[in-house]
Amino acid sequence: MNSDVAMNNNVNAAIQSQANDWVIRQRDPEFSDWDAFTDWLEQHPDHLAIYDATASMDIDIGGLPVPARGSSGVPVEPPKRFVSGRRGWLGGVLAASIVGMIGYALIDVNSNGTRIETVAGEHRTLNLADGSRIEINGATVLELDSDRPRFAKLERGEAMFYIVHRANEPFTVEAGTAKLVDLGTAFNVVRRSNGTSVAVSEGIIAYNPDRENVQVDVGKKLDVRDGVGRPQLHDIDIQSVGGWRTGQLVYSGTSLAEVANDLSRTTGMNIAVSSNVEELPFRGALLISKDRDRTIDDLTALAGIHAEKTADGWLLTR
Amino acid sequence: MNDAKERMAPSQGIEGMLLANRDRLIRFLLARGAGEAAEDMFQELWLRLSARPGGPIADPLSYIYRAANNLVLDRYRSARQAGLREQDWGAVSVGAEPAVDQALISREQLIHVDVAIDALGERCARIFRSFRLEGKSQRIIAAELGVSLSTVESDLRKAYDMLAALRRQFDEQ
Repeated sequence: MNSDVAMNNNVNAAIQSQANDWVIRQRDPEFSDWDAFTDWLEQHPDHLAIYDATASMDIDIGGLPVPARGSSGVPVEPPKRFVSGRRGWLGGVLAASIVGMIGYALIDVNSNGTRIETVAGEHRTLNLADGSRIEINGATVLELDSDRPRFAKLERGEAMFYIVHRANEPFTVEAGTAKLVDLGTAFNVVRRSNGTSVAVSEGIIAYNPDRENVQVDVGKKLDVRDGVGRPQLHDIDIQSVGGWRTGQLVYSGTSLAEVANDLSRTTGMNIAVSSNVEELPFRGALLISKDRDRTIDDLTALAGIHAEKTADGWLLTR
Repeated sequence: MNDAKERMAPSQGIEGMLLANRDRLIRFLLARGAGEAAEDMFQELWLRLSARPGGPIADPLSYIYRAANNLVLDRYRSARQAGLREQDWGAVSVGAEPAVDQALISREQLIHVDVAIDALGERCARIFRSFRLEGKSQRIIAAELGVSLSTVESDLRKAYDMLAALRRQFDEQ
């Protein structure tokens, strides 16, 4: 028996060494030996489990403090802990995922803040410690603060919040000048350069409870332009709330400029709108399928406009 | 215009690469433990990569493999966080992204790791930190420290062996 155990330990040690080697080699951005890696995984079922555990540990130790000085004795810049979307070193939607090998897509704003930035077309989900969930659309910047676990700031873009309600500790979302306080809720927030929209698919939220204090019930959408007038409430179909998550965008009288903005953010397509159509109200449902041209075709057909292919995307025009 | 479709460029670049290597990638996803979710994961890979803004990639196929590997690893971590048994993780719904901000080891364990790295000895600790935390290549580390590449390699192996031993301890805790 003892010799069996010893043999198993030796075998496991050998597999562990091989897994280590794969993880070390894959840290090289030029690693390309994926076929050999596949072969190795297929050789024995234990290979997969040990590799996963090893690669996962390798991600976790990215949280270790970075040495204070460079190996040459001069101060070095700390390594980038984040991928800032378009400026990321791989520059792609997958940058965050790829850099997952090196460190997750987090930015240390201050000691306790976490900034999450997605590029257009990228969707991410955050699971918070209290069981709440935030689904983040593309082209979005969201800030969290570990000192304020019931708070999130939507700097720009769009996110769907599924908040676990706590009566004495409401969850607050800040978006521009809007402060949204949940009263037991699922809601989608869009932060634009000049305004904010929030649509509620479950529960109730309070908009700026210490100022206008508008209650937004389930099935309602609140639109507000920064510094201009009162917030407007509309009826909406709750099925359509946060439709970007399931690839279905439903509109009833939304300006084409806003629709194009939503599409760009959700799909990563670059869609410009000429001034002669940007104010046109749009009604209808757009399916986001793999065939992106199809979505453009649907949009132009439903809106009675045209789309011109440009160097880097589309231009909507009359 | 109405003839917009005809003016579209044919599927090429990374999407063409995905299609042309579909079988290989599915095999890879299966080898990576994706199980029945392999097809779904391929779809997700497709969605993510086709939504990616343009830009040159030196080696598209490696880029795709790396993306696939990270996708699977994300799911694995997500499932571990959700407390599922390891063999069930393939069932985690595709499209549900993991919590990016949750480490699987605690802050205390991380301090433990930091101390254990110091215990590897000065050269080994330095080589490991340069490699893993500062992102330097093995070649550059060898040049900076004036040691051979094989010294760097063997020190890294030593460090990763130590990490594996620590990980097993953590798992038993």
